[in-house]
Formats: sequence, C-alpha cells, structure tokens
Amino acid sequence: MEKNCESIANDTKFNWKEVTNEFIAATGELKLGELLHDEMFGLFEAMSAIEMMDPKMDAGMLCNRSKKVLNFDQALACGKLKVNNLTIEEQIGIIDDTCGCLITWLEGHSLAQTVFTNLYLHNPNAVEDKCIRAFSVVVLKLVAIVKDFVTKANVVEEEDIQPLYGFVMPCDYSDNKACAMIRDVEEEVQRKLKAIQKDSTKQNCSENDSEKYFQQENEQQLLLALYVRLKFFRLFFQSLILLKKEIFNKVQYKKLVVSANVEDIEKHLQQSSETFQFWQQTLSMGVQPDTNSDPDAHGDYPTIMGFEPLVNQRLLPPTFPRRVLMRTRKEAVNYIECLVSRLRHVCKVYDCSTFHSALDFFTDFSKSSSPSSCVLSRSILQLLYLPAPGLVFGVQPLSELLRETVRQFIKPPSLQTKSQIFANNSQAKEYIEVFFNHCARPMTSLLQISGHNRARQREKLAQALEELATLQDEAEKLDSFLNNISQKLDTPLSHMGYFSTWILYHILRVMIQYLLSGFELELYSTHEYPYIFWYLYEFLYGWMVSTLNRASNLIQEQESQNDQKGRGSKKSKAKKRKQKPHFRETLLNQAFQQLCGGYYKTVCAFKLQGKLKLPKAALNTDQIRHEHRFAAFNSVIAPPPVSYNQYKDMTEQMSLANRQNPNELYATACKCFQQAKILFENIPEPNEEICSCMKIAKTNYVVIKLLLSGHIGELKTYPEFDFSVDKVFPIIRIL
Amino acid sequence: MREKLESWLNKNMKIEMTDGRVLIGIFLCTDCHQNVILGSCVEYVKPDDDGYTEDARALGLAMVPGQHIVSICVDAP
Repeated sequence: MEKNCESIANDTKFNWKEVTNEFIAATGELKLGELLHDEMFGLFEAMSAIEMMDPKMDAGMLCNRSKKVLNFDQALACGKLKVNNLTIEEQIGIIDDTCGCLITWLEGHSLAQTVFTNLYLHNPNAVEDKCIRAFSVVVLKLVAIVKDFVTKANVVEEEDIQPLYGFVMPCDYSDNKACAMIRDVEEEVQRKLKAIQKDSTKQNCSENDSEKYFQQENEQQLLLALYVRLKFFRLFFQSLILLKKEIFNKVQYKKLVVSANVEDIEKHLQQSSETFQFWQQTLSMGVQPDTNSDPDAHGDYPTIMGFEPLVNQRLLPPTFPRRVLMRTRKEAVNYIECLVSRLRHVCKVYDCSTFHSALDFFTDFSKSSSPSSCVLSRSILQLLYLPAPGLVFGVQPLSELLRETVRQFIKPPSLQTKSQIFANNSQAKEYIEVFFNHCARPMTSLLQISGHNRARQREKLAQALEELATLQDEAEKLDSFLNNISQKLDTPLSHMGYFSTWILYHILRVMIQYLLSGFELELYSTHEYPYIFWYLYEFLYGWMVSTLNRASNLIQEQESQNDQKGRGSKKSKAKKRKQKPHFRETLLNQAFQQLCGGYYKTVCAFKLQGKLKLPKAALNTDQIRHEHRFAAFNSVIAPPPVSYNQYKDMTEQMSLANRQNPNELYATACKCFQQAKILFENIPEPNEEICSCMKIAKTNYVVIKLLLSGHIGELKTYPEFDFSVDKVFPIIRIL
Repeated sequence: MREKLESWLNKNMKIEMTDGRVLIGIFLCTDCHQNVILGSCVEYVKPDDDGYTEDARALGLAMVPGQHIVSICVDAP
C-alpha cells in the first residue's frame, strides 16, 4: 500500500517523511476539545471543511464502496459494453434513454450527471455500430450547439443550465459530416424496411408460415421505430444548424437569404414534429433496465447497457447533488414535442415589425409558454431578434427601429418627414439621434429580461426602472428643447410631452409587470392585497390609461393639423378615423384596472370583516411591508412613488365612510367586476389570456353578488384566492 | 511535542485513509482525536487492478477524521 501512495503522489515535488506515530503521540497531549491551529485559522473556517468518509459529504467515497464504476474502455474490456452487433431494441433503448438525459440536462442538471452518463458519448469513434456512432456524434454536436446558443444569448442563470465540469467533448466532426452520418444510417434503415415490405408482400400468398410472418412483422415495427427516431434527430439537428447559421453568420447576410433559412427551419421542425406520434407509441420497444435492483441513495440506479450514472462523479465539485432523477422516456418525448412547438413559435418573431410588437411577443412567450419555456427556446428567441447587439435581425439598427416605433406611438412633430424644426437647427437633429442611441440599451434590456426565467425577471425589472428613470430625464429635456424651437416657428406648435410620454409608457409597463409578478411568484400574503391592488387600480392602470389617451390625442391633433394643411386628403381622413389609435391597448388596460378595482374593494371588505389573515409579529408592520413592496419604484420621478402615509390618507376617507358597511364595498366590487367583464368582451380578437380574464371577472362577479345578496350568510372561513386559471388574477372562492 | 505539531502547521501533508485514498494538502488544524484539516486538498485514488488510475480531484478544505487515518507524512524541506 505504501508503494501505491508513493507512485500516486508525484514524489519529485515533495520530500515525504513518515510521521504517523509522532503525530499520534503529539496529538495525544492536546486537551479534549482543544484545537491546534495557526492564528489565521479558527473554528469558523474549520466548520466549512467537508468531512471525508462521511457518506453525505464525501463523493469520492462512493466509487470505492459500491459496485465498481466502469468507464468506456473498462466496460468494453470486460464485455459489459457492446460496440457492434447491437440489437434494434438496444439501439432504440439507448436513443430513448439519451433523450431522457438530454432533457434532464436542459432542465438544469449538470452535463456530467446526465448526458455524459452515456458511455458511448465518451468515445464515439470506438463504436463500430454505425447507428449508435452516428447518433452519438449528433448528440455531441447538439450539446455543443445548445451550449453556444445559451452562452451567446446570456439570459441564463445558474439554475437554468450547468456547464461542463472539466469534461472534454470528444467530437471532431463538422456539422455537415455529422449530418451525413445520421442520414446514411437513416437511409440504411429505410432500405431494410423496404426489403422487408417487399418480402412480406411476396409471402402473403403463402400464409402457412405464420411464425415467420409474425417475426417479420415485429422486425418491421422495430425498424420503423428506429427510423422515426433517427429521422427526428436528423431534422432537429439540421434545424439547429440552420438556426446557428442564421444567428452567428447573420451580419454578413442580406435579408433575403435569411428569410429562406427561416422557411427551411420551419420546414424541418414541422417534419420533425410529425415523428412524435409514432415515437410515443413505440416507447416500450427499447430494452428496459433491470429494475430488480433498487436505486440506492448514492446516485446509482439501474440502467440499460451503455449508461453509468457515476462515471463522472470525480469531475463534480466536492459538494454536489449525488443523485439526479432522470426524466422517463415518456416525459422526454413529451418535452421534446413541446420544445419543437416552442421553437416553431419563436421563429414567428420575424413577423414583428415594430419594437412594441416584438416586446409584446417576447413577454407573451415568456408568460404563456406551458410548460414554461426552457433556456434553449428562450435563448434562441433572443438571438433571432438581436443576433448582434443593437442590430434587429442583424440588419436594422435598434435605434432606427425605436425612432420608427415612437413615430407610430405618438407622432412627434420632430419625427415627421417634413418637420420644419430642423430647418435652421442642426443641433436638434443630433440630440434626437443621441436620444435614440441612448434608448437602445435600456430597451434591449427590456427584451433580455423577458428572456430570463420567470423567477429572475422581477429583480431585473427593478433594475430596468433605474435605467428608464435616467432616460425619462433625458426625454423631458429633449422635449422642452424641441418645444423651444418649435414655438418659434412660423406656425408655432407645441412639442411638450412627446418623447417623455413614450418613456412613461414603458415605465408604467415595467411597474405593472413588477407588481403582477409578485402574484405569480406567490410573494404576497393575503393581508397585503389591499395596497397592492390599490396601487394597480387607483394608480398604475389609471396612469397607463391616461398615458395612452394622451398619446392617442396627440396623434389625432397632429393628423387634424396635417389635414388642415393638405385640403385634398379628406377621403383618407374618413378612412383613418375608423378607430382611435391605441384603442385596443387602452381598452385592455381599462379592463385590468376595473378587475383590480374589484379585487381591491373585495379585499377591503374582507379586511373590515376580519376575514384576512393578519400577521402576528409586531415588528412586521403594514408600513414596513408596504415600503418594502414598493421600494423599487422610488428610483422613478414620474409616476411619483406613493408613500405609505399617502396611501393611508387616500384610503382612510373611503374606509371611514364604509366602516360599518362592507356591503357597500361588495356592491362597488360587483360593479367593477361587471365593468371589467364588459370591457374584456369588447376587446377585438381576444387571446387566451384575455378569455381567461373574462372568465375570472365573470366568476368573481357572481361570487361577490352572492355575498351581497346574503345567500351565503356570514363568512365562516377565510376566503380563498384561486390562481389556477390565471397566475396573476385569482378567482375568489368562498367556502 | 506541541512545538513539533506547530512546526508542521502550513506544511504540505500527505494522509492515507482507511479506504486507500491519499489526500495531499496543507496542514491547518488538528485536535486530540487526530482529526486533521487540510487546506487546498487534492484527493488521489490508488490504481485499480487493471492499473487504471483515475485523475486527482480537488477537494478544497477537507477534514479527515482521526479514526480513518492510516498514515501521515510531512513534507520535509
């Protein structure tokens, strides 16, 4: 044993001297509990040491204790791993289990504990079986591509995906080569299939040999199952390669080429999605692990040939989850199916021509994906829209698009094509240019925020508010500067509140999103609802509606002025007046305002009746909570943050009037919910979210109406808030 | 004897454990049970029967319980 140690620990560096007995004797002199250590090292440091030979802390211990862990070469040498003559069942099993690993990785576990428990991936060149070799190479390439996407998009947190732990990926094939390899195998399987089909039609005449017939039938099914899997991986791989080209080579391409790529991506993804049905049906065909041996607590579990859960254990940091629960084959295929449909959806981002539509697309994608979007689809969306910083689709500068967006949003006179503001002032032009350049960064971060996982968005929204506050300041200065010029024109016109209104719109959007995310993340307890809903109802949505109205009024003002100038355009005027600008968005915000109003009045009444659970601790006052909840808003000047005392003053009057009578409150709540329902119904082309909000408003209306009519009588228990229909707006339930 | 222990502090130390693994790190702390804390510790596994050696693994700060210590060596300059 001594010899072994000598050979391991490179002796040239050290001059070891055995001191075991001396050491034991010396430590024997120490008193019980006494520590011998340097000045710089104390008990506190000692506490953070990992304890060797402790089954929970010592990862290295496992390998020595439980069954021997074999790596690729060892498993091959002792005949536990086949690299040729694999049966189709084995091939299918390996492919399906690898999918489970891939998905588990995409859900945030480390590569070493998921995908690279597949031994074939450690050395695909040594695999003689063409099918598994091609598959292994493609999986390695896929992992690399996914890593590229995720790293470049940078909307990733440590809980989203884990990097490699010192694992070198053994793959030196080009994308095209890998693609050709899997295509070859796919075609070979297809040829075999055809041969069998031919054979069986011949045999049909003489059906006496039923056993052979059955065998052939079986083999045909197996081949078909294998074929479908290979086809999926080839198509999926191809679409990711195209996406990669689309994103990483974007800047050099012209727009035309690019859209052709997108069509191909869509085609591949569409074809790949056709494989899922048969894949699902044939999940049981692959070999299954021997389940007789129970999984032990140390991260080992039964696997099929080629998988070794502990093979990378030594690559992991000393303290790391030991056991990773792998996704089942069924879960994996379901997940991949959702992933493909998400990717297809993401490609539709090319339809977003304005910045606002893109921002809506991004937030909707983040909000509505169910199951929640994975880091891969989120990253790809970011990269497709902004493959290079500040360049939308890699072609158009973001500042230019923002200018166009503001022109549509509020039609500032300074952005009109024949604006006279610049006639004798070159500085104005420059200022506007600078302003939009400054806008690019905060607006990019709004897009990026929606790319992060839902739980992380909230803190990032608070940071975005600070950036927007700076921008607001600049917008106001720019407006008044331009106003000074435009007032002095031959036909004086006002330029107040154009750019600042646009920024205000974004600030309000972020604030609303910030408050609402608290419901989704289940941060608020019910006794906080009164001021949260008050803030939304009386304040944020109110401001939002008036901001949108202001924008729409300014547009109409501009248009009427233009109409007066150009007399011949009366016809076009009639056409334009069909709908007020921002009609839909205003309506939507009004509806949400009423919805929140309904909640606010209801929870106030609950509070009056003592039906909201209140915290007991004295340190935990309403005021402290209130200040904490709205602390993020303090960085913004407009809308001004409402302090707790202001909130108290403003609400006191109402509660005084209604103190004796919660029914009064229920009555107004009823009106609010009804109003909300009507408003939601009036929104043209309602999406899923609006429909469920409509349903919620309606249900709440009925519930409160029942309360009001006294059918339920005195509330016996605390009312419940049911977030199952919508993550943000609850259905009120009375038990 | 105490001086001897103190003179070993912050020196490289090699500890062999009962399961055959060898730890090399900086000797930081000990007590009357011969529990030893090594800093910047690296773990070496003895080669298996086929002569295959696994790579060393960095552990950082590690405490070795005295009961699991087989032998101790100190780096003598």
